[in-house]
Amino acid sequence: MSTPIKPPAEGDFVDIYGVRWSRWAAQLSARLDVIISIIIALAVTAAFHLHFQLLAGDWDFWVDWKDRQYWVTLTPIVAITFPAALQYVLWEKFRIPLGATLSITCLMVGAWIARIFGFHLWSYFPFSLIWPVLMIPGALVLDCVLVLTGNFFFTAVIGGMGFAVLFYPSNWPMLAAYRLPVEIMGTLVSVGDYIGYTFTRTATPEYLRFIERGTLRTFGGHSAWVASAFSGFVCVLTYLLWWHIGMLLSKVTTLPNRWRSMFGMAPDQTAATAPVESHDAR
Amino acid sequence: MRAEWAKQLSRAFLLLLGVVVVLPALAHGERNQEPFLRMRTAHFYDVKWSADKIAVNDEVVITGRFRLFEDWPMNLPQPDRVFVGNGTPGPVLARTESYINGHAAIQSGKLMLDRDYEFKTVLKGRIPGRHHVHPMVNVEGAGPLLGPGSWVEIGGDHRDFKLPLTTLDGTKIEDLETWGVANVVRWEGFWLLTALVFAGWWLRRPLLMTRYRALHEGHEAALVTRGDRLWAAAFLTGTVLTVFAGAHWAENRYPRTIPLQAGQFRIDPLPKDEHEINIQVKRATYDVPGRSMKMTLVIHNPLPHPVQMGEFMTAGLRFVNHELPAAMAQVDARYPAELLPRTGLTLHDKAPIAPGETRTVDIEATDAVWETERLTSLLTDPDNRVGGLLFFFDDAGQRHIANLSGAIVPVFIGS
Ligand SMILES: [Cu+2]
Repeated sequence: MSTPIKPPAEGDFVDIYGVRWSRWAAQLSARLDVIISIIIALAVTAAFHLHFQLLAGDWDFWVDWKDRQYWVTLTPIVAITFPAALQYVLWEKFRIPLGATLSITCLMVGAWIARIFGFHLWSYFPFSLIWPVLMIPGALVLDCVLVLTGNFFFTAVIGGMGFAVLFYPSNWPMLAAYRLPVEIMGTLVSVGDYIGYTFTRTATPEYLRFIERGTLRTFGGHSAWVASAFSGFVCVLTYLLWWHIGMLLSKVTTLPNRWRSMFGMAPDQTAATAPVESHDAR
Repeated sequence: MRAEWAKQLSRAFLLLLGVVVVLPALAHGERNQEPFLRMRTAHFYDVKWSADKIAVNDEVVITGRFRLFEDWPMNLPQPDRVFVGNGTPGPVLARTESYINGHAAIQSGKLMLDRDYEFKTVLKGRIPGRHHVHPMVNVEGAGPLLGPGSWVEIGGDHRDFKLPLTTLDGTKIEDLETWGVANVVRWEGFWLLTALVFAGWWLRRPLLMTRYRALHEGHEAALVTRGDRLWAAAFLTGTVLTVFAGAHWAENRYPRTIPLQAGQFRIDPLPKDEHEINIQVKRATYDVPGRSMKMTLVIHNPLPHPVQMGEFMTAGLRFVNHELPAAMAQVDARYPAELLPRTGLTLHDKAPIAPGETRTVDIEATDAVWETERLTSLLTDPDNRVGGLLFFFDDAGQRHIANLSGAIVPVFIGS
């Protein structure tokens, strides 16, 4: 088991990042690191996965929904949200540049759990139909740009663009095999189309697929790149918005306790002298 | 306000509970569909299942016809985008082929009201078990419209299931269930590992409180070092290069790819009969305690032959005139027994209707099946209408189909 934590002996100190810590406190802090990290990872997995399922939904679930237009545009936009917010918290409070990598990895783990248990074992869908997308390359770029620039605006512009533009090429090595042409009953379809057709989703008929509609098709074979560029532009804005959401969520404030008098206690003295004080660590 | 909320919430909860409790009891909730969806939309007839017991990898073929009802409910959108599917509990059978009037039905398209279509669906056994299998059409905005369901038993082992395919570029796919999956796992696994290695650089050092304090006390340089920047620069370059190398590899491996296909089919309906028997519903009642639907119909026969009424069909229920051999011959041995009411159709006037004759006829369809199929909730609809098909047979044994639709009045007190 772990070594018992002893109270500090005189002169038993360590230096961590230029700060003097008693060895005892440093050990406590290291344990707290592990516990808090696990809690953060679980919370991010659950919340981000729910958010992503609601917004990207079918485009991420099925191989015959992963088109060159909506899937490419929509997925990075809804996926850059949590990375931006978590980057704010981890970078501004701790200078840890793992907000994007951590949240996207958690999302991926959550997605695989859902696919294995919910889609495959419970509903019998084969993995060829339901594999989740890959967004780790984009997340690495976001975090690396943050370390190198140390600036949220440059991260939004360069990283946000990179996050969207890398999305399609990083998934293409997996997707290409599902875009081979095949003739079925005299009709030309892709292997992915046929997989979606043959492993029936009773409640999701073919016409529900929202794919390749609209004028972007006039760009012919380049529609994925046009969609990526547009997605990148929106990603930059989404990043800025969610960076600020991260800021708001990590603000610590105190409010006067208005209920005290109801329980026959004296009004909150500290609050009376300092009504609303922000303890934001800036 | 709050009480109202609580009430609504508890109502929603009860509803949810009802759905959860009811679903397993019924095959997949087909009886929960509102009667107007089952009696006045897609009427499936001549439905046949080629087998009721198959092994994994064996085929069951469902064939038959459906008519999109003339008196289509006003509250539903028109069948402008229709997909011919099949109602099964998920992908327990793999649909390998499906046709409408002999044309491929892998895509969706527009169908016409008051016209008939022939369908054929080939299903391959995949997950062992006893599954309720329906033909079905999905109409955009109207949802799934189920035909009659029959039990199909699949024996064997799912692990033996194989669905091979050869693509147009000559690639041989051994099994569509696993095609490309190993590649996905390798590629995503590689990136997952990369992410962990990248994060490990920071995770191996003291993390939260120590860094927070150091940042507050202004030791920024100790938190973001030159090593950190080099590490990030290496990963940034490596990531971008690897992504484009991967995409390049895929382009070379599969040079001929096509986008997802989102075309629509254009299929003409089956030819219409030159003359159609005309039915006017003079009065229709549903006797609640007697579980009996009674109708007075004015029938006009424009055909050059005398005809006799052989069957009243609605919501997959077939009330067959037992005294007419031509009608009885239409009943397939595999047609689900619970959809064939035992008493059948009762006619009060059995004489054939002569060519050109208009006659008023009383018919009766009595069975508990109105209750068990939950079609009596028809009486709580805002538009109380009954719909169905009437099958007539002429003296040569030829079948003629007529639409029946009219208002219905409940009778609550037994006569
Ligand atoms: Cu069923």
